[in-house]
Amino acid sequence: MSDYDFDRVNVLVAEDSPFIRSLLVNSLKVLGVGNVFAVEHGGDAIHFLKRVKNEPMKVGVQQVDIIISNWDMSPIDGMMFLRWVRRHKDSPDRFVPFMLITSYTEPERIVQAREMGVSDMLAKPFTIKHIGDKLISIIERPRQFVHNAEFFGPDRRRQKLGPQGPERRVLTDKSEGVEVIRG
Amino acid sequence: MDKSKVIVRFYRFPNRLRDKTAGLAPGKANISQEAMEAAEAALNKMSEDYPDWVSSLLVKLQEQHGRCVDTPEKRHEFFEEINHIAHDMKGQGGTFGYPLITKFSDSLYGFTVKRPGEITDNQIELVKSHVDAMRAIIRGRVAGDGGEIGAKLSESLDEAIATYEAS
Repeated sequence: MSDYDFDRVNVLVAEDSPFIRSLLVNSLKVLGVGNVFAVEHGGDAIHFLKRVKNEPMKVGVQQVDIIISNWDMSPIDGMMFLRWVRRHKDSPDRFVPFMLITSYTEPERIVQAREMGVSDMLAKPFTIKHIGDKLISIIERPRQFVHNAEFFGPDRRRQKLGPQGPERRVLTDKSEGVEVIRG
Repeated sequence: MDKSKVIVRFYRFPNRLRDKTAGLAPGKANISQEAMEAAEAALNKMSEDYPDWVSSLLVKLQEQHGRCVDTPEKRHEFFEEINHIAHDMKGQGGTFGYPLITKFSDSLYGFTVKRPGEITDNQIELVKSHVDAMRAIIRGRVAGDGGEIGAKLSESLDEAIATYEAS
């Protein structure tokens, strides 16, 4: 079994707590991530991504591969930041893997994040192993993106479970009204 | 396809992130054991500074408690700040080896969530009980589940909660 080489990976970290921020930056670097950019809140993160889009040479990065963001931040929190990444015309990559870190454990919060198009969530307090597991999940198990009238984001169905009983789901790849886009 | 008829689009891209990190060869990859151990060691090193860091948050909680006592008409405002700090602490304690800080601040977070109605003196006392319990944990460096001391602190905090909630 070979080891991942994260040397060419660019990660953006948005976290307001300086202690947790330096823990995240430190851990990612020690795990071998080549470039870790850290900002204090969603507003700074948006500003950074705009710069990546408009002046990549100056920033020194062409593309951010993974975003790791805290949820509860001020003035722009992780959810507003996620919305911008997924929906705004200035977003450099609406498909970028976006991991939200949070101490919120209420189920309605999880649903809210999923509906906004989060790729994965890391519950606080976390361990190094949790960070590692989430990185592997993001690399190994990306989901297709779904875009319809109400939703844009990674497929909310994670498992390929068939229905119990006959298949009654109406749409397949070949149905009229379904467009499959392959990059 | 006629664009107006599209109900849903599925975007399926090649997994470039995997190509970038694991190369083009198939087969499982893993994060190197050495790297994981080095990251753990770095975390342990940082954990040494955690008591100092969290002490500054406890001081902030204590200040907010004092304000609640001195300026009762602004209690909702102060509670919001207490709730915010508790939320932060809840997310950190366990990472740095202090799960009891996570447990107690979760409890503090739970009962300071914004809700209508008056904030009573009992609730303010309960804030103090939580801050005191957490200070005891940090002062005694009660890491992990804290053994007997941890159990005692949990017990007396539970008692305080029961007393204030009953009265």
